[in-house]
Amino acid sequence: MFLMQLDRVMGYWPVLLKGIAMTVSLSVLSLLIGVVLGFAFGIIRAGRNRTLARLLGLYVDFFRGTPFLLQVFIVFFILPVTGIELSAFTSGVIAMSNVAACFIGEIVASGIKAVPTGQSEAAAASGMTRAQQMRHVVLPQAVRIVTPSLVGQFVLLIKDSSVVSAIGLLDLTRAGWVMVQSIPNGLLVFGIVGLSYFIICYPLIYISRRMERRDQSTIL
Amino acid sequence: MIEFSNLNKWFGALHVLSDINLSVAKGEVVVVCGPSGSGKSTLIRCVNGLEPFQKGGLIVDGTELGGSEARLRDLRMEVGFVFQQFNLYPHKTALENVTLAPIHVRKLSKVDAEERGRALLAKVGLGDKMGNYPHQLSGGQQQRVAIARSLAMQPKIMLFDEPTSALDPEMINEVLDVMVSLAREGMTMMVVTHEMGFARKVADRVIFMDRGAIVEMASPETFFTAPKNDRTRDFLSKVLQH
Ligand SMILES: Nc1ncnc2c1ncn2[C@@H]1O[C@H](COP(=O)(O)OP(=O)(O)O)[C@@H](O)[C@H]1O
Ligand SMILES: [Mg+2]
Repeated sequence: MFLMQLDRVMGYWPVLLKGIAMTVSLSVLSLLIGVVLGFAFGIIRAGRNRTLARLLGLYVDFFRGTPFLLQVFIVFFILPVTGIELSAFTSGVIAMSNVAACFIGEIVASGIKAVPTGQSEAAAASGMTRAQQMRHVVLPQAVRIVTPSLVGQFVLLIKDSSVVSAIGLLDLTRAGWVMVQSIPNGLLVFGIVGLSYFIICYPLIYISRRMERRDQSTIL
Repeated sequence: MIEFSNLNKWFGALHVLSDINLSVAKGEVVVVCGPSGSGKSTLIRCVNGLEPFQKGGLIVDGTELGGSEARLRDLRMEVGFVFQQFNLYPHKTALENVTLAPIHVRKLSKVDAEERGRALLAKVGLGDKMGNYPHQLSGGQQQRVAIARSLAMQPKIMLFDEPTSALDPEMINEVLDVMVSLAREGMTMMVVTHEMGFARKVADRVIFMDRGAIVEMASPETFFTAPKNDRTRDFLSKVLQH
């Protein structure tokens, strides 16, 4: 019985593979955009223009404080009302990049604030512009400080990408739904789906743990 | 070279610098001392614009402070600053610390900057430590890298804020030696320090500050042998004891 079901799951491997491909491409694209945008957010959030920082803080808190599913719905169902037609994939990427940028931005801002002020003072004293101080002195140190939390955040975001199945994208989670229609063993099907998520995320978890350890050894 | 005129600064309600009048000539070495919290750091941090001030004027190398960011940057290229806590860039090697500003601010080629950087590190006695990261260096070595880093911009003025007070006693002299030779080469320097031996050796003038004001200003001989002010005498008796 079990072996028969396993055999049928294997018959569904193209769907499973499609789901994996969708989850990976959605995550990679969104995380790339999210990182770029998130660094911009972080620099503004830790920056000298406090008004701008607070305004952005309000925006960020809104997206950190509302369910991701709701955000996906807003992009997919509500933006079209204003005349912007978006495919499910584009909607997913937009919603996910945006929420990624919000979380990453706060992490980056905390890293920037954790770099001692003496560092930017030394850089300023040598005649560097604010941008140069940020690029050559502050950001490299901030990145080192926050890399473990950033990678941890990536894992959370990849897992959250399962929400996009709600707007019809055939991602890993939806592939599970499709399979479970004809294979009445939820435990087996979603066990395999879960394992696939784990295989996607584990390298990141591993890297982050390695880096945390390396970080401690350089501090000592 | 440096001209304070009636400079005043407040941190909120705290009057940290009151009516500072001081001029430092080219090639002069001025030592600033005084009790903790008297405003010494704030005074020299004004000279390269690390601290803004509210009243009075300050002209450094012909530039009036309080102007645009761009003019401030131009000025900072000519004014080196050495911090009590070194503030080396921990993610860069000694040589990279020294070449960063020459490459990105002075726009030197990497080759030229490294040549200059190697020569300076050798000059401060660290020819064999160029590839080391700050955490692999002792405090005295780090501070010498910091001095080389400032000198790499070929400044006209060097400011030192208690450069030896974070150091273990046995490392103080290696840093002071570098500063003495710099002074003898004719560098214009303002040095906040309690190292009175250094003051005796190379200072042209010694300034005593208390509660944000310059209380006494004299040549080292007069300053140490015949201080006029009671507070100066009091301070000297404490500092010279050890
Ligand atoms: N950023 C700051 N904000 C508020 N007060 C400050 C700040 N920096 C220094 N002060 C105060 O200004 C006074 C002078 O400080 P400082 O110039 O560092 O003295 P010193 O270097 O002689 O020890 C002290 O009372 C100090 O507490
Ligand atoms: Mg001080």
